Amino acid sequence: MQQQSIFVLFLVLAGIATIVFTYIFISSKKAAAEEKGMSNPLKKRFWFSLILFVILCIFITATIPKSPYYLFADETPARVIHVSAIQFQFILSEKAIDPVNPSGESHIELPINELVEFRVTSLDVNHGFALYDSSNRLITQVQAMPGYVNRLRYKFKDPGEYKILCLEYCGMAHQVMRSSFMVN
Amino acid sequence: MASIKLNKITSVWIISVLLLFIVSIVLGILMRLNQGEMISQSPITFYSNMTTHGLTMIGIWFVAGMAAVNYIMERYVKTSYTVNVLALVLTVIGILMFWASTFIGHFHSAWTFLYPLPFKEMGSETWATLMFLGSLTVLGIGWLIWSISLMTQILKKYSIPQALAWQHLRKNPTVETPPFILISMITLIGVIACLLAAVVLLVLFYAEYFSNGNFVNDALLMKNLTYFFGHTIANEMLYLGLAVIYELFSEVSGRPKWKTTWYVALAWNCTLVFILTAFFHHLYMDFVQPQGFQIIGQLASYFASLPAAGVTVFSIFIAVYRTKIKWSLTNLLFFIGVIGWVIGGLAAVIDSTISNNIVLHNTLWVPAHFHTYNAMGNVLFSLGFFYWFSIQFSDKTKIKKSTTLTLALLLIGGIGFLLAFYIGGAESIPRRYSIYPSELSIGASLATIGAAFASIYFIAILIFFFNISKRCLKILFSSS
Repeated sequence: MQQQSIFVLFLVLAGIATIVFTYIFISSKKAAAEEKGMSNPLKKRFWFSLILFVILCIFITATIPKSPYYLFADETPARVIHVSAIQFQFILSEKAIDPVNPSGESHIELPINELVEFRVTSLDVNHGFALYDSSNRLITQVQAMPGYVNRLRYKFKDPGEYKILCLEYCGMAHQVMRSSFMVN
Repeated sequence: MASIKLNKITSVWIISVLLLFIVSIVLGILMRLNQGEMISQSPITFYSNMTTHGLTMIGIWFVAGMAAVNYIMERYVKTSYTVNVLALVLTVIGILMFWASTFIGHFHSAWTFLYPLPFKEMGSETWATLMFLGSLTVLGIGWLIWSISLMTQILKKYSIPQALAWQHLRKNPTVETPPFILISMITLIGVIACLLAAVVLLVLFYAEYFSNGNFVNDALLMKNLTYFFGHTIANEMLYLGLAVIYELFSEVSGRPKWKTTWYVALAWNCTLVFILTAFFHHLYMDFVQPQGFQIIGQLASYFASLPAAGVTVFSIFIAVYRTKIKWSLTNLLFFIGVIGWVIGGLAAVIDSTISNNIVLHNTLWVPAHFHTYNAMGNVLFSLGFFYWFSIQFSDKTKIKKSTTLTLALLLIGGIGFLLAFYIGGAESIPRRYSIYPSELSIGASLATIGAAFASIYFIAILIFFFNISKRCLKILFSSS
C-alpha cells in the first residue's frame, strides 16, 4: 500500500540522515587538535548538491505525471455523483443538488472497475471529501469548497462499503461528519 | 555590543516565550489525552484548545526568532529599542485578546481560521470572531513594524544588492555582507511579504464582517492568502533560527567565523523565491486551483531543499567533520536541531509530492512533519540561543551530567511523540479530530502513546525553562 511504502521510505531516509550526522559528530569528538577537517570541501559540496539535484529531478519526473489532475483525464466517466458538503453531513445524489433545498439519496451504489466522477462542493465552509476503503485506508480525497466544484475521478477495484470522512476541519462536529456508499 | 536595555528586553522575551511554550505544550498533551480517551473534553473545548495551541506556538517561535535576530543584529547595525518594546507590548496584548477569544469566547476555527469558518462557527460567543480578528490585527501590526524596522536598519548600512549579497556572485567583491545580515534580510523580506498578505486577508474578513451580507469573499482566494501567510511565517521562523546558527555556531565552537561566498549568496537568494511559492502545496487537493500553481508548489517545495541541504547543512558538516571543536550545550542544541530540521524536511518533501499528498493530506502525517522541524528543530535553535544568551554573563559553560540527561529526555520524548504522529499518518488517521471513530481506534492508542512521550519531552523543557529563566531573571534585575 502507498502509505506503508511512504512510511518505509521516510524511515530509511531519516535513518540515513541520523547515521550521517552521528558519524560526523563522533568524528569531531575523536578528532585530534591538529586535524584539518574535510578535504576539498567545495568539490564535495558541489557533488553533494549535484547528486541531490539529480535525485530530486528523477522524483519530480516520476511523480508529477501521477498527480490526480491527470488521472483518467481523457476518459468519460460511467457514473457522476454530485456531492454537497454541509456542516456536518455529506449529501450525495445522481442528480444536481439544489443549494437552497439540498437533498440527496440515502443509498448510493457504484460500479466496480468503472470510472466514477464525484462533483464535490460545499454549501457553507471548507470540508474534505476523503474516501476510505473497507480496510479503513484512505484511498483518495478532494476538498469541498464553497463556490467551487472539484471533480474527483476514481475507479474502485474492490467491492464493499466505502466510507466518506471529512478531512478539512469544519467546526465542532467535524469528527462525526461522515457518510458511506457501496461498490458492487 | 548589546546595551543593558537590549539584554533586559531580550530576557523578557525569553522568559515570556518559555512560559507560553509550557502552557501550549500542556494544551497539546491534553489534546492527545482526549484523542486517546484518557480524559474527556467537549469538542468545543478541544478545538478551542487546538486553536490556542497552534497560534500560540507559531507566535512564540516567531517572536523568539525575531528577538534573537534583533539581539545579534546589534553587532552589525543599531536597532530600535523602542520598536522592540512596542513589539513586546503588542504581542502581549495580542496574545491576551487571542486567549480571551478562545478560552472565554470559545473561538475554535483553528490557527488557520480558514474562510468562511470563523463566520460560521457554532457554539462560540458572538464577539469571539471579532476578538480573534482583532488579536491578529494587533499581533500583525506589532510584528510588521518590528520587521520593517529591522530591515530599515540593515538598509541604512547596506544597499539592497549588498544586503542580498549580490556582489558575492561576482569575483572579488569589495564589500562583504556577513551571512547573518544576508539571511536576516532574506527572511525579513519573506516575513514582511507574508504579513502584508495577512493584512489583505484581515481587511477582506473585516469587509465581509461589517458588510451585513452585501459583500462575500471568494473562498479560493482567501485560502491562497491564508496559506501564503501561514505557510510562509511558519517557515520563516525557522530561517530566523538559521540566521542565529550562521552567526553563533562557529563562534561557540571556537572556530573561524563563517563567510558569505558566491554559493551562500546564491542559495539564500534562491531560498527567497522558493519560500514564497512553496505554499501552493497546501492547495493540492483543491482541483480548481490552476494546475500551473500546483506544479510550482511541488517544484518549489522540492528545490527549497537544495540550498538548505547543499549550503546550510553541508556547512555544518564541514564545520564539524573531523574538526576538534568546543562542544557546549549551545552548539549541541544547534546540531541536534539541524538533524530535526532535516528529518522534518524529508517528511515535508514526501508530503509535498502531489501523488503522495492525495493519501497524506490532512492526516496525522501533517502534524508529524511540522512538529519534527519545530519541536525538534526550531525549538532547539531557539533554546540554543536562549542558553547562549543566558550564560554569556556567567562562567558556567561546561556540559554537566544532568544536562546530558535533560537532552536524553528531550530526544526520547520528542522521537516517541513524533513517531506516534508518523504511524498515525501512515494509518490514514485524520488530523484535527477531537476523538476518533471506532474503525480508526488505532488513532486513540497512538494518541495515548504520543501523550506519554510528549510528557517526557515536557519534563526536559521544564528543566530548560527553570535553568534559563533563572539566569534571565538575574539579567533582568541586575543593575549592569
